Amino acid sequence: MTSVPGPEPVDFEALFHQAPCGYLVTDDGGRITAVNGTFLHWSGYSLPDLVGSAIQSLMPVGDQILYSTHCIPQLGIAGAVSEVAVEIICADGSRRAALLSASRSPASGQQPATVRIIIFSAHERRMYEKELVSALRNAEESEARRAEAEHELQRLALQDHLTGLPNRAGLKAKLDGFLAARRAGQGTLAALCIDLDHFKAVNDSLGHAAGDELLVAVARRLVPAAGKQATVARLSGDEFIVVDIFAGTDEATARAARLLDVLRAPMLIEGLEIVTSASIGVAVAGEDGETMDDLVRRADIAMYRAKSLGRSRWELHQPAESDPTADRLRALAELRHGISDGALRLHYQPRVDLRTGLAVGVEALVRWQHPSRGLLAPSEFIGMAEESGLVRPLGAWVLEETLRQAEDWRIEDAGGSRLEVAVNLSARQLNDPGLVPMVEHALRLRRTDPSLLVLEITETALMDDPGGALDQLMALKDLGVSLAVDDFGVGYSSLTYLKKFPIDELKIDQSFIMGLGTDTGDAAIVTSCIDLAHAVGIRAVAEGVETPGQVQVLRAMGCDYAQGYHFARPLPAPLLREWLKANSQGQRPDSSPVLS
Amino acid sequence: MVEAATAAVSSVIRRNNVTVTGNAEGPVMLFAHGFGCDQDMWRRLLPYFTDDYRVVLFDHVGAGRSDAAAYNRAKYGTLDGYAADLLEICAALELQDVILVGHSVSAMIAAIAAVQEPGLFSRLVLVAPSPRYTDDPDDGYVGGFSHADIEGLLDSLDSNYFAWAEALAPMAMANPEQPGLAEDLRSSFCRTNPSIARHFARVTFLSDTRQVLDEVGTSSLILQCSDDLLAPPEVGDYLNRHLGHSTLVHLQATGHCPHVSAPEATARAIQQYLAASP
Repeated sequence: MTSVPGPEPVDFEALFHQAPCGYLVTDDGGRITAVNGTFLHWSGYSLPDLVGSAIQSLMPVGDQILYSTHCIPQLGIAGAVSEVAVEIICADGSRRAALLSASRSPASGQQPATVRIIIFSAHERRMYEKELVSALRNAEESEARRAEAEHELQRLALQDHLTGLPNRAGLKAKLDGFLAARRAGQGTLAALCIDLDHFKAVNDSLGHAAGDELLVAVARRLVPAAGKQATVARLSGDEFIVVDIFAGTDEATARAARLLDVLRAPMLIEGLEIVTSASIGVAVAGEDGETMDDLVRRADIAMYRAKSLGRSRWELHQPAESDPTADRLRALAELRHGISDGALRLHYQPRVDLRTGLAVGVEALVRWQHPSRGLLAPSEFIGMAEESGLVRPLGAWVLEETLRQAEDWRIEDAGGSRLEVAVNLSARQLNDPGLVPMVEHALRLRRTDPSLLVLEITETALMDDPGGALDQLMALKDLGVSLAVDDFGVGYSSLTYLKKFPIDELKIDQSFIMGLGTDTGDAAIVTSCIDLAHAVGIRAVAEGVETPGQVQVLRAMGCDYAQGYHFARPLPAPLLREWLKANSQGQRPDSSPVLS
Repeated sequence: MVEAATAAVSSVIRRNNVTVTGNAEGPVMLFAHGFGCDQDMWRRLLPYFTDDYRVVLFDHVGAGRSDAAAYNRAKYGTLDGYAADLLEICAALELQDVILVGHSVSAMIAAIAAVQEPGLFSRLVLVAPSPRYTDDPDDGYVGGFSHADIEGLLDSLDSNYFAWAEALAPMAMANPEQPGLAEDLRSSFCRTNPSIARHFARVTFLSDTRQVLDEVGTSSLILQCSDDLLAPPEVGDYLNRHLGHSTLVHLQATGHCPHVSAPEATARAIQQYLAASP
């Protein structure tokens, strides 16, 4: 070693022996060659006791193993270890906690490798660490117990108690893997929804215990038959589901057929041989993004179809096949948005006085500008609006918008000021106590002469609840508006009621007008409708007039007004204005070409 | 499928921190480290083999730079879990005719792997092996330890919990006589997750793989050190008796890690064994 300037060598000796920690020098194997006074004093050994023995021999066996397996290789490879916690067995047999740090000098020339060790007494620190570690171990153990309890709880929550199969929640939890596998492009994911046929009969005739026994027996048959990788779950009652990855649709339906066979074999329940059968719906996962819920629901739809087609069979749900319930709900939501977002449009169809040939009014007809299906006629959504009650806001909008438009026409053009506007009321609106105030409000808002507003009610709506309808019609009549019976002739109205209602016009259903000139029966009906109207002192209006011949016949029959494609199809407001301009003076609408 | 297979391969490689070095054209030597260490412990032995062999190293899960998140108490509750990893490494790298070198407990993990896939390994080199560390009073087997000793080891591990916990580990001061040693090696050498180390210690030191020995058909070399606390001479003899096609070599090296303390002598013994016809 090179000389180091500084203290005299005698001080090194003192530093070694009187250092504030134990110093030892050993060979690679741990054999002690030198030890300082501090260590001797601390451990109670004499110098001859220690020199020649291994440092490991001063440690308990556990520490020895650790020293051999961890510290010696670390010294050999990395050249140092630091703060290894050990215990030193002292001369009096007591154990003293210590921290050991060491560094190794490799062999050089004749000098063998040496290891220099320092040992600190670490009683307090070790006690403290021991407490921390034991607290940690306890925490780990209680965490492990908690995790185990939670695991058990989860298992129970995900399991059907009767059959031990996963329940609906369990199925969901299990199926992540399936969806992932499908994403990796491995085969076709399919769900088989299995429902026992006539299970209720077993429950009713043999009791619930027998029913339960049957379900357990079915579960036992399904599991081995469903396939090795398949997940079998019981969703509810007698409804089971099998989900698996198949090579293709054919394999999935073949599996369904096999399961039907397996379930057809008689089962012994409470000593009775019961023959069961099942209906199975198969759904194959379609586009990406389909959830497991969607898949199961589609399998469910197919299962119900299998039931309705005679049971004991399977049916396949095509991915493109629609789900009526879901479609309806989706459409309703769209319509609700459509009403609030301004997707509704009004088209106006002129009504022409057959005697003068001039337009006397328009019928407002609602259209729905659907985001994906285009412009929809009322027949595509009014029924749905009626059932859901959406017809109320829809009807209110139609009335208000029509009156607003009529006000515009009045302002723009004095010639349009006497134009009648006809608006349809639905059966549901007729039952709505808010109808009369709504109409009153709309009329006042647009400062409309009530006599220019015609409210059309279908004959069938009137006949639904004639008593209630009468009250509403009377109240509307009191507002000064005109009332028309729409689609007349198809609803078998009784003349008595017709006479009672405060009606101003009859609109003859277009199906009869269509037959004019070809069907003598239709001609007779149209004639009697016109006569009937005139007999009670109201006007007759023909709907759906499409040909000059029909116009001629209707005029001969004495019909008052007419509307239809012969004159004009329902037109958006700007086109209607053009049409009115073209047909107001001199030009007879009955001879004008059809505007399209 | 190819992608899936590639993903599986890379996950094995990441899990066990598999590293490959040496002569890519040479026969394969796969080194498995023992309890308390990691693949760095082979460092002094490797120069004797890297010229001629394709050397594959790895860390057991929980040790070194393996993926501790892959640790699973059930899987690694027996040595079989470690043997399964070893076989997966061979499969992932498509290794064949592997010379498997296992130290300490990994010598027995190697034996288990060789029984499970006998065709995969050409030779087994068992460094300081022991099929059972505790004595068995029923048949007089001498393993060297009592159950109480092993409990003491678990206590020792607990005492070093904080020293082994990544964030709290003390940093050894640089050794001026080994200046070339990389800083990261000094701080990370044989670092192990303390909770996993405790479980691995229990699994290792309470294992009994004696019943596997008779089934090992692969030729093996037993390297017995003098003065090995963990594998007394009786254990080497026992192994030699029960392993068919085994060669027992007593090394002069003392202690449990001859590849660290006496790499040259250890390498020479292995080379001689490999040179001899099987």
